[in-house]
Amino acid sequence: MEKFVVQRIDKNDLSTLCLGGFLDAHTAPNLEEAIQKLLDEGRFKIIVNFKDLTYISSAGLGVFMGFIEEIRTKGGDIKMSNMTSKIFRVFDLLGFPTLYEIVDDESEAISRFKG
Amino acid sequence: MKSISKFSLMLPMVLFIAASVADTHLYDEEAHRFALSYIRESFIFIALLMSLPLVYKQKWTSDRNVLRGLRSLFFLILFTYLLYLYSRNRLGEFIANIQKSEIVQQTANYIFILSWAFFASVYALIILGTLRNFIFIKRRKRTFSQFGWLMVLIILYAGLRATPINLSLQVEIPFISSVSGTTFQVLRFITINFMVINSFRVSWINFLNKKQKILCFWCGLLLLPLQYHFAFMFSRVNPVLPYSLVLGSFIELVVIFLTVYLSIAFLALLAHLPTARLYDRKMRQISSLHHLTREISGEFEMEKLVVTIVNLAAEVTEADFCWLELADSRDGSLELVSAKNLLKSERLSRLASFDESLSQWMIRQRTPYLDNQVTKTGPAKDLFLWKSDLFSLLAVPLLVSENVIGFLYAGRKEEFGFEQDDADMLQAFSQQAVIAVENTRLVKESLIKERLEQELKIAHEAQMKLLPKEMPKISDIELDAVCITANEVGGDYYDFFELAVDRLGIVIGDVSGKGPSAAFYMAEVKGVMEALAKEEHDPKKLLKSANLTLYQNLDRGTFVSLIYGVMDIKQQVFSFCRAGHCPILYCSTADANCQSLEPKGMGIGLDGGPAFDQLLEQTSVPIKKDCCLLLYTDGVIEARNRQFEEFGEQRLVKAFRKVKNLSAREIKKKLIYDIFTFIDGANATDDLTFIVIKGV
Repeated sequence: MEKFVVQRIDKNDLSTLCLGGFLDAHTAPNLEEAIQKLLDEGRFKIIVNFKDLTYISSAGLGVFMGFIEEIRTKGGDIKMSNMTSKIFRVFDLLGFPTLYEIVDDESEAISRFKG
Repeated sequence: MKSISKFSLMLPMVLFIAASVADTHLYDEEAHRFALSYIRESFIFIALLMSLPLVYKQKWTSDRNVLRGLRSLFFLILFTYLLYLYSRNRLGEFIANIQKSEIVQQTANYIFILSWAFFASVYALIILGTLRNFIFIKRRKRTFSQFGWLMVLIILYAGLRATPINLSLQVEIPFISSVSGTTFQVLRFITINFMVINSFRVSWINFLNKKQKILCFWCGLLLLPLQYHFAFMFSRVNPVLPYSLVLGSFIELVVIFLTVYLSIAFLALLAHLPTARLYDRKMRQISSLHHLTREISGEFEMEKLVVTIVNLAAEVTEADFCWLELADSRDGSLELVSAKNLLKSERLSRLASFDESLSQWMIRQRTPYLDNQVTKTGPAKDLFLWKSDLFSLLAVPLLVSENVIGFLYAGRKEEFGFEQDDADMLQAFSQQAVIAVENTRLVKESLIKERLEQELKIAHEAQMKLLPKEMPKISDIELDAVCITANEVGGDYYDFFELAVDRLGIVIGDVSGKGPSAAFYMAEVKGVMEALAKEEHDPKKLLKSANLTLYQNLDRGTFVSLIYGVMDIKQQVFSFCRAGHCPILYCSTADANCQSLEPKGMGIGLDGGPAFDQLLEQTSVPIKKDCCLLLYTDGVIEARNRQFEEFGEQRLVKAFRKVKNLSAREIKKKLIYDIFTFIDGANATDDLTFIVIKGV
């Protein structure tokens, strides 16, 4: 099985989490931890780059749901980018595009934060 | 084997009795006397020869029961001595008569002599058997052969005594000293030599403890003079000799053997006495280790185990007090878990810590710490401040591979209470203790795991009970469904509600996440859906209400994907909404291609109201004859094979198209078969649920 990896890149007040591998009920806590760390540091503008993610389960989706309320009340947001069509399909089926900004490219996400 | 040993016991007896009977009847006849003596001697010789294997092989007492052997030997020697003293006067008279050539004619005399012969034979056999047991306690290669040679020599010597020459000179024989002949002297010398060699086998002394050794010493002091006296008297006046030369000499040799053996054993005992305490201690240490090893296999309760460890450690080191500190398995802090002879106040006031100077010392050195003069400045200063009557201290770290999991302490109230030997011993002991502690921890963990598994199993059964037990029966429409759970309990769910005579509510759903929590949410979803379905027949309105209710009750981060639809049986229409769930596969006629029905909608629990309500769309499809619908959860399309490929929507569509014209039941079976053929024994990670609806 592919491992799950989270890579964090901070740029000004934006933080990008690049996800890779397999995000399921077993690896979801890793992502949770990474986001919690950002919040603890007071960084609420988060871009999640799905470029290398091969699978996401409902537990993986749940991670974003768990944080979004707090992030938005603190004036931040989670924007998602670079999803493969397979990953996007999972988000789309559940109606996530109405709740989150999902964009094709990371740079687009950055410009949305600025705009 | 048994019959042989019985035979070897019986035959000498029979021979012996035969000799006695012949004696009684024929002794009067002068003419036969010489021949009779000769026959008697031969019989007795054969009898002795035959009882040799008896002594050699037969077990008289249990091998290791040294004390019992010693006790019986003690009483036998004492008894024989007293008996001999008692009959000495009579013996003297009797022997004198023989010397005067007066033949034993009186019956009383004859019985007296025969009794002595019989008693002495039994005595000799018991002595030989007991000595054999002592000698064989520690068997070496030569033990058997040397003892065997001694037996042969004794018998040979006794046998040679009864040669015709000696028999004819019978009158002069009573005093052994009077027997001359180099052959006998040499034989006697060799025999006594062998006795001495055999007498050095006194390793049974090792099995005695200090107390028993001292007791044996006093008994020996009492017994040895008696035995010397007896041996001396017996060599002068041998009561058996007049009856039989063979038997008489045999018994005489046994008496000598016993005397030699006892003397050497006594000397060896004397040599052992000074080291008895040390030896005792070693033995106790070994037995404590042994005891602990036994405890390991039997004791799986930590509370009892630590008490055993402390008690045995105190015993091993002869400490005044002893205590055990172990790292807590949860937070790793050091804790005093058991103590012997510590006051309650001392137990409570002990603040064990890995940061203490002595702990640090042992963590660095990984060796026992021995301090015979504990002061408030040495490494053990914390302990001295804690317990002021601690003057000698012995501490060992408990090591699991490279980690220190605790310490075992032993203390004495006097200075110089321990030796290096104690430290080595306690270290060996602690290694056993560590194994025991680790074992107990592992057992405890596995018990907890087992209990969790049992609980999961119960949860799984409960979950299965939440699913409908049978399919509703409806005219013109076939229904079938399946839910196959992965190893754990999951969150998949389906249900049917009979709303009215011609209306049927159908729901399929999947709670996000896995495990017991998902199963609990599933139960909650079922409750909400069941309650709402009775009130609200419109799928869209129902799902909106369901979302409102569940959004408040679900954990953020947990959501439910659902499809709820109502089948109008009269109108043959299926109206449904999709709350974020997988699309429905639909074939309108027998020939039509499969369609994926995917009206817009959002998962329940993702949004509290407006967004959900706005997005949700309702769709209707006709369910005429040959129409076929497949509702499924993501477990179906995400089922993976060993190569980690997903079954996927495309394969599902293909498989469904192939079987859509069969009955609902057949479609279900074929689809399950297809999916499981694809995953080919790989571990299922998610629940797998689908419903087939077929118009007929």
